[in-house]
Amino acid sequence: MAGPYTYLAAARWEGCPVSYTTSRLSAMSEALRRTFGRPIEFGLVVASSATMLASLALVALTLWRALPLEQPPWMRPQALVLAAGAQGEIDLAAVQSALRRVATVASADFLARDAALAELAQRKSLSAIGLTDLRPNPLPDAFLVRFVAGAAPEAVEAAVAEMRKVKNVESVEYQPELYRRISLLSQLAGRVGLLLAAPLAAALVIGFSLAASLWVHVDRDEVRVLNLLGADPSVMRRPYVYAGATSLLVAAALAWWMVAAASAWLDPMIGSAAQEYALRWAAQAPPIWVGALFCLGAALLGAVLGSLAARVAIRR
Amino acid sequence: MRTIRRPTSNFTGSYAADPSAVLAPPSLRTEPYLSDSSVQAPLLTCEAVEKRYGEFRPALMSLDFAIGRGEFVLVQGPAGCGKSVLLRLLAGLEAPSAGAIKIAGEDLARMRPRALAQLRRSMGILPPGYSLLRGRSVVENVALAAWVAGSTLEEGMRRSRAALELVGLDVQRYGAAGCDELASGQQQCAALARALVNRPALLLLDDLLTPLDEATGARLIGVLDQFSAAGVTVVVAMRTGAALTTSPAPWPARTRILRLLDGKVAQ
Repeated sequence: MAGPYTYLAAARWEGCPVSYTTSRLSAMSEALRRTFGRPIEFGLVVASSATMLASLALVALTLWRALPLEQPPWMRPQALVLAAGAQGEIDLAAVQSALRRVATVASADFLARDAALAELAQRKSLSAIGLTDLRPNPLPDAFLVRFVAGAAPEAVEAAVAEMRKVKNVESVEYQPELYRRISLLSQLAGRVGLLLAAPLAAALVIGFSLAASLWVHVDRDEVRVLNLLGADPSVMRRPYVYAGATSLLVAAALAWWMVAAASAWLDPMIGSAAQEYALRWAAQAPPIWVGALFCLGAALLGAVLGSLAARVAIRR
Repeated sequence: MRTIRRPTSNFTGSYAADPSAVLAPPSLRTEPYLSDSSVQAPLLTCEAVEKRYGEFRPALMSLDFAIGRGEFVLVQGPAGCGKSVLLRLLAGLEAPSAGAIKIAGEDLARMRPRALAQLRRSMGILPPGYSLLRGRSVVENVALAAWVAGSTLEEGMRRSRAALELVGLDVQRYGAAGCDELASGQQQCAALARALVNRPALLLLDDLLTPLDEATGARLIGVLDQFSAAGVTVVVAMRTGAALTTSPAPWPARTRILRLLDGKVAQ
């Protein structure tokens, strides 16, 4: 049968049992032969590719579990504004409205005396020391003022000073040092993160490209000769497409296993830390289909890279 | 655009009796697109062809010529005059920067890569320098072209042996040997056998005679003359002053010489 040709199957001199009438199947067997034929090289390449993929997957998963990213309440500047009189004696609505008009103020929530007591009662530390002592001592009505997230400490301090001048405001409780330190630390963390992210991303891209050039080891001489002989370009690319897809599929599976192992090890600790610092953290691990999609995506990427490498070799 | 029919493998005759009879005439039947002798138009035309590489002086300029079916053309010129570039353009391995190259009326630049690849299967191309696959035997290297064109394993092997005999390589002795084990002249013969194995309608042979002694070169020219006489168009590129170019004796009397000088036709 003069079927589709195969050019890559290792033809041996006469009487060779290799079938020359298959195409996709023989391209796949050739891809597997190329991929698994050099086990040490393959192992090293897959391990390095898997490490890179695992790093990317870990970053993506961390973001996914922490989304939506927002500053925890303790990181956001807030002040407690105590009213000069009780409800009925002064116009609390006018005070609230005046507070809201101050620059950088995000919200000003009225905290009635009873509500304040109830909130204090929820705090175990206070109930332990005897909250009942507070009851005969009346609490003033207050406003909890929250400032815009990320506002500069100087702007917040100016706003606090302005709030102190508002009519019927007795005092404003605000700890400027604490917010200054938090602001400085978060700015520093952001800049260090950016500084590290750029070279890390570059290292990942370079490492990935190097690994890619190893999985898709294009035999340029063969491609050049086949092009000369009129081999179909898509058939020429096929073994490289399959080799790229197979290599990255194995690397992705290994990467997912690494991610799962790392998650299992770190999850309890991260969960506790997130609870302690009031950070959002999705407790559940990603479903299995995310892993399947990850592997499938990686295989697709491998196929595309293999095809591109072969295309470049054909054009040269 | 006309579709190019894929070469079929309908040859059922014997290869052993007369290799030249086996390889040359069937091509005219199996590849009607390139070998329809009833069509009077030239097989190959170059219209105002120019080829540039970057900012440098063009490698080829204002090339206008036509080559008919069965013609034997010798492209001659000094080193660097653009012979190899011209043959690469004719083979569709590169596209001209300007102008058009037409084979059987079809503009190569407008053809899809797959159609171009199919067209190339009905050409026999000999690139300059070493072009065989290392790690494969001589017979496999030659048969590869037949397999690419759709031959079965056995048919490819039979054609390969016939082509090797045609160019004067002893199949029993050298067939199973690796290509690296051959002398440069024998490697050139094997590469020529590979160009002939699909019974092409157009032969594009670059630097054919350089590694060959005069006797072998003259014999191969004789083989090519047989193909040309059977209707195959032969284009051979040779450097001026190379062996067998100074003496016109081995070339067929009807050889048409196309002189290239600084990228232009000098005739």
